[in-house]
Amino acid sequence: MSSNLLLPDESSSQTLRRRLLAIAGTIILVATYLTLIITQPMGIVEGLGQGVALGTFAAYLAAAVLLLLAVLPDLPVSTLTLIPVALALNIILGQFVGSVMIPLYIDSIGTVIVGFLAGRRAGAATGVLSTLVWSLFAPTVLPFAAGAALVGFLAGTAARFGALRRIYLTPVAGLVAGVLVGVVSSPVATFVYGGTSGVGTGALVAAFSSMGDSLLSAVTKQALISDPGDKAVVFLVAALLVYALPKRLSGSFAFVRRYRVLGKRVSK
Amino acid sequence: MRRKLTHQSTAVLGLNLRSFAYLDGADATLRNMHLDVHPGSLTVISGHSGSGKSTLGAILAGLLPRHGMDQLVGTVKVDGTEIEFSPSSAPRVDVAQWAKHVGLLPQDAGHYLSGIRGTVAEELAFSLENAGVPREQMHRQVTQLAQRLRLEHLLERNPQQLSGGQERLVALAALAISEPEVLVLDEPLAGLDRQATELVSEMINMLRANGTALVVLADSMQRWAHEADELWELDRGTLQRVSSEKQQRQPESGATQRQPIPADSRVLLNVDSVQLAYPGSTEPVVQDLNLQVRSGECLGLAGANGSGKTTLLKAIAGLLEPSAGTLVTFGQTGMLLQNSSDQLFERTVFREVSFGIPKKSAARKRISEVLAQLGLESFAQTHPYELPASARRLVALATVMIHEPQILLLDEPTEALDEAGESKLRETIAAVLERGGAVILSTHDERFMERVAHRVHLMK
Amino acid sequence: MPRTIKLHPFTILAIAVAVITMTTAASLWWLSCAVMALCLLIAGWAGHLKKLAVLSGAMLLPTFLSLLLIHGLISRDQSPAIAQWGPLRVTIHGLEVALSLGLRTAVLVVVGLLCGLLIDKHQLVAAIDLSPVPPQLGYLLAATLFLLPQMAEKQRQIGEAQTLRHMGTGTGLAGWFQRMRLRAVPLVLASMQDAQDRAVHLSARGFPATGSRTRLRTVPDSSVQRGIRWAALVCAVLGPMLILALAGFGSR
Repeated sequence: MSSNLLLPDESSSQTLRRRLLAIAGTIILVATYLTLIITQPMGIVEGLGQGVALGTFAAYLAAAVLLLLAVLPDLPVSTLTLIPVALALNIILGQFVGSVMIPLYIDSIGTVIVGFLAGRRAGAATGVLSTLVWSLFAPTVLPFAAGAALVGFLAGTAARFGALRRIYLTPVAGLVAGVLVGVVSSPVATFVYGGTSGVGTGALVAAFSSMGDSLLSAVTKQALISDPGDKAVVFLVAALLVYALPKRLSGSFAFVRRYRVLGKRVSK
Repeated sequence: MRRKLTHQSTAVLGLNLRSFAYLDGADATLRNMHLDVHPGSLTVISGHSGSGKSTLGAILAGLLPRHGMDQLVGTVKVDGTEIEFSPSSAPRVDVAQWAKHVGLLPQDAGHYLSGIRGTVAEELAFSLENAGVPREQMHRQVTQLAQRLRLEHLLERNPQQLSGGQERLVALAALAISEPEVLVLDEPLAGLDRQATELVSEMINMLRANGTALVVLADSMQRWAHEADELWELDRGTLQRVSSEKQQRQPESGATQRQPIPADSRVLLNVDSVQLAYPGSTEPVVQDLNLQVRSGECLGLAGANGSGKTTLLKAIAGLLEPSAGTLVTFGQTGMLLQNSSDQLFERTVFREVSFGIPKKSAARKRISEVLAQLGLESFAQTHPYELPASARRLVALATVMIHEPQILLLDEPTEALDEAGESKLRETIAAVLERGGAVILSTHDERFMERVAHRVHLMK
Repeated sequence: MPRTIKLHPFTILAIAVAVITMTTAASLWWLSCAVMALCLLIAGWAGHLKKLAVLSGAMLLPTFLSLLLIHGLISRDQSPAIAQWGPLRVTIHGLEVALSLGLRTAVLVVVGLLCGLLIDKHQLVAAIDLSPVPPQLGYLLAATLFLLPQMAEKQRQIGEAQTLRHMGTGTGLAGWFQRMRLRAVPLVLASMQDAQDRAVHLSARGFPATGSRTRLRTVPDSSVQRGIRWAALVCAVLGPMLILALAGFGSR
């Protein structure tokens, strides 16, 4: 039997390199976050903290890119063709809700769908890529790549542990994800941009600030008000969309079959 | 006339299949087949939509079984090597390597194209780029291939702006660039107008003349019978050899079944000096059009791409307001769009057809009747996306017919339909005309137009 | 007619990064404004002025307003207030902070958008493909950029088909949910099915490349540009450090 038509197994040096990249990315992210939280550089008001801004921006972006490079070679081609669809859905479906004047930013729906179907690494990659593509039209989103990766990662984790099998658990998982993402992304908004980008959210931050909170805790509190609800809705809608897919399609994902993401219906 | 092979050449592709079952399939889709493909031969396998032709094609091209999912029992012989598939040993196939020997042109040629290259030349070079071929060599190979297959005029075009026929030509060329021994073509001539059919057939002949063996999967054999070296029919999961005599004896295709139009029939559509333009564009698509359609009449619209056939149908359906002139319809319209399969979204065919119909209304009771008329009653609880393409198109038609329109508008209705589907479509048109309605259709398929339309209006 | 710059995409990006980081580090209002004016000039030369102005404006207006609310109206520093109504306290310093932060974001937005307008998407993808990063990255970027208009068109066609079936006319909350469903589900179904259909043919064509890979398209480059890229990256990293160090010394 000729092996020229059959695939060889993967070399262990490649997996090692990827693991190192992933670890490096995670360390950078965690270290930056902890540094910011602990030191709480107040240079915002006095010296405007340009150094902090640049450092935070670079660190968050670098962490996200390292995680992306670690994950990319692992993804099967069926996931690779899915991701651009998910990114386009982020934009197209996100626009629709925005036009209804409800402050829901369903611009992570594609990321969550990929997390549900293809696992947490694919979800994380989709989050980073979504940010990178968005940045061509809105450069300010770049440091939020890590937060977007976290959404995809948590979506995959939730699916793996059965949050989709009972539909009432899904919004709860989304709520938790929203809390975590809000907390992780707040230092970016605070130290890189000194605030938020929307008038509504800005007013909230101003309100908290006037009650005596530091800028970081004001931004965090605002995030904790809007993010969990938003992510709960996104998780729920994404779950409903995944359930609307024919079994042939959802069952073709190894992740869905292996962890029985959609319950016994789709397992063999 | 059959081409005679002067000597018994060894097969470049051999299939010995005991059974094949999909991951989610209850029974085996294919059973007990033996197929050998010889160099430079033309093998034609015919079968209706859903018979498993595409499955067979994918198996020949190494794309099925998906590792860890589908179940194939049998052996495939490619490039002198025999690969065995059994319940215990499921080898992981390198599809890229396999594709260098057996290529597959899918039914929708757009699925084969990468979608990420800016010019057709780069699209042709895509597989070479992935193999790391040096640039000068790639350039040479692309230019030579384009000359050989007469595609030079397309080289600088954007692959995403090609017509359906051009897409197929580019996909064929992209397949040919790695010079595989065998090419499997899944319905290569389906849905093309006459000019495109000629171009694609010409390219297929050129490839065959070059020594490539061809396996054509088709809905009906008529087009290929006289050129084929081997004819097979795929029925109920297994292959039956077809003799050429059976092919010459074509069944009487039921010549003009058209009923004459009653003399006193009333006018259902009146188009008077109508001008149609899309909002935002300066040039009107249709100008000064006069048309009348009476009850019991089937009108065909003919004309080149862009002559406004679809625009007119949309205007009659009420999607577009005429910018000049009057357009009056007497009766409810129903329109079947060209990409109608894309709009399906319910979990079962029944729910899809019954969408929007109140539970207690008369229309509800008609649903099973409409499904039965179109041959879809066994699919009522199936997800539309799990149906073969022909059945899916009929589901879209069912969603239109459930409302019993007086004026039925059809835009390229024969696309994706197999022979059985086409006859259901003809029955539906006849039924509409019989109860006093009218049908207006636009299609490239001249043969179909001739059979159903009372007259043809040429759009300029 | 828009003119195109024939520089290597990475050169443009490297210069942009250097400009952004150094301008942010310097934090001088006149420098930020000069940089933005230069960007507008370049956009004007390339024929993209209106686009740049409109897109930047749309993005920066809410940002400025938000910063004004947070820092301008609610300053918590000790300097004397210009005006005071209850919890609102406006100080000159607060307004300065808001303005500086706003300018910082503005430079990022304007320079970033200009890059997006000047760089040819196909050249960028080719440059990424020819660099050492994994091949999936170039594919994903290209597929998303070129897929987006196709999907938008598909969504439009779906909307048309639904209008013909008189769908989406319900009222109230139930009607809104149904409209959401009608907007989202067919597009998701059709596009995900499409993605699955494409995947196997991409594999058959050798994607992703495991060994070396080449591109038919050439991305013109020169040693001068390579030098500029290296210099720009060095400036992007060391420049801010120097500037901040100088500022730190200066303030002592």
